[in-house]
Amino acid sequence: MTLTTAAKLLALVSAIACAVALPYVVGSFLLSTATLAIIYGLFAMSVNIMAGYGGLVSLGQAGIMASSAYGVAYVATRNHGYVAQVGAGMICAIAVSVVFAVMAMRTSGVYFLMVTLAQGMIVFGLAMSLAPITGGENGLTGVYRPPAVTQDWQFYYLCVGVLLVCAAAIWVFITSPFGLALRGLRESESRLRMLGYNTTLHKFFGFLVSGFFAGVAGVLFAYNNQYVSPSVAEFAVSAQAVLMIILGGIATLSGPLIGAVIIVLAQNWLSIHTDRWPTIEGLVFVVVVLFAREGLVGAVSRAWHRYVPGQATGTQAPPAAAGEPAEGPDQAGEPPPADRLPAGPGGSGVPRGLSS
Amino acid sequence: MNAVLTQMLNGISFGALLFFLASGLTLIFGLMRIVNLAHGGFYLTGGYVGLTVVTLTGNFWLAILAAAVAIAAMGAATERLLLRRIRGQVMAEVLLTVGLATIIGDMCLAVWGGDPRSVPTPAYLSGSIQIGSFVYPRFRLFVTVLAVAVGAGLHYLSQHTRIGTIVRAGVDDRETVAALGIDINRVFTGVFILGALLAGAAGVIGGAFLSLSPGADIDILLLSLVVVIIGGLGSLPGAALGSLVVGLVDVFGISQLPALASFILFAPMALVLIIRPSGLLGRRA
Repeated sequence: MTLTTAAKLLALVSAIACAVALPYVVGSFLLSTATLAIIYGLFAMSVNIMAGYGGLVSLGQAGIMASSAYGVAYVATRNHGYVAQVGAGMICAIAVSVVFAVMAMRTSGVYFLMVTLAQGMIVFGLAMSLAPITGGENGLTGVYRPPAVTQDWQFYYLCVGVLLVCAAAIWVFITSPFGLALRGLRESESRLRMLGYNTTLHKFFGFLVSGFFAGVAGVLFAYNNQYVSPSVAEFAVSAQAVLMIILGGIATLSGPLIGAVIIVLAQNWLSIHTDRWPTIEGLVFVVVVLFAREGLVGAVSRAWHRYVPGQATGTQAPPAAAGEPAEGPDQAGEPPPADRLPAGPGGSGVPRGLSS
Repeated sequence: MNAVLTQMLNGISFGALLFFLASGLTLIFGLMRIVNLAHGGFYLTGGYVGLTVVTLTGNFWLAILAAAVAIAAMGAATERLLLRRIRGQVMAEVLLTVGLATIIGDMCLAVWGGDPRSVPTPAYLSGSIQIGSFVYPRFRLFVTVLAVAVGAGLHYLSQHTRIGTIVRAGVDDRETVAALGIDINRVFTGVFILGALLAGAAGVIGGAFLSLSPGADIDILLLSLVVVIIGGLGSLPGAALGSLVVGLVDVFGISQLPALASFILFAPMALVLIIRPSGLLGRRA
């Protein structure tokens, strides 16, 4: 076991220990903040599947999360059981993902971003206007948590459990051959196509997997809030997820979660003192994009590789073999790429603006 | 019959408003490969600036001028101080404009409040004109004529002037343009300012026949994006065609199926994306 692997395991174990201990340490306000951070973290992780690994940044993922939340709420208000509620939520999320994926799978780069943005806004528009089903601007009330997780601390543990399972599943997915192909999509779609991969199909399934986890986040969201309104589908929610990803570290497993914890904490704390939270968030967005695009996880890992001696170097390990894909280039002794943000459409993504 | 004609003209004039934004978006994208998601924010700020100027001076034209100048300055600052630092990193550039859009939207709310506001129009542009039994609001006709004029001007600029030639050459191959001794950075700034200027002026016009309120920036941005997706990113004629399609679909959609209005816009966009992902008049697949 290399030092790096040991450090990661240690970090993981202590993070889980902290998560388990949290309800015994903090008050109810911080606990509900933590619950929200986990839900948004899972949501950001779902965006990261396509954005970080596939190089396809979605600005409409909130539409998928909202459809599952509305699915849960709609069935709940019709007095069906919890299995039916969760089932309906996930079916809504997957159905919407299929439709969106079909539309978006032939686009890439900036086009993908615009198409998904429009998709998200359309879900928002439908949530506002289809009042008989969605309750319009007022939303849907009458969602109740299952009896076993009514208490905030119980629901918190449920969220921690779901997050761990989902994170493990996402890790398996991104290190699978399919996940590797998705990463190839980020590096060069045309090259991948030349190698005989059906890139359109890869985007379709990648989108679906990403939509699935957004759906899980939506189900948790509905039960956490016990109320669903069009604000879940707002553009700001999708944009915030992207901010969480780049703040924490794009194309890393833990980055989106770390970003979510920071943003949710900052939002809940600063909203007490100022009405101008969106401005602060926007400023953070701009500053992170300009100066800190490798994100926190990227910065920490770079510092680790620089200052901690005695790691296995040059072991020819392909980037995928490392648990955190972002670590790949570091282990080969190269400086990490400063910019992990995916490139634009066609050849325009070549660094320094070489045109196609 | 008259009702259908009215609806059609409504659609066309709404499309005309969208064209002011979409043409800027598409020009900026064509040259710089940036989709400026702060364009809606430029529009809304322009509208509010115009509103303030009208309130102070009572002069509608001065309001349009002030908005255009103010937003052009905003565009210049955005391009020079922010986007230039990360030139060529396409996704970073787009995400930066997302952050900017958030800031602008919130600052507008802070300065001009949350109530819907409208920009008053001068007397000779308000009211209606009558041709036989057909009555139609003057202002909407004015917007349509203005959009056609702006479209023609942009077309002339891009096809028949030296600057237009440089811009079109920059779209095809910016390295070669730069190698020929042309300061491509200045061209970038110029195009970005032109797009911002159009968006700012559009804000005053939009503020007169829609209304200005928080969220109006995102709404108009969405519609403009649908326009350029349908028309084809980077294509000026595409922006014109897309504006017409979206304007008409929106107006007829709202009148026929109000509950599904936003969804109806989805249909032509989905169709175009599935059949021709690069847009109706876009260049590459």
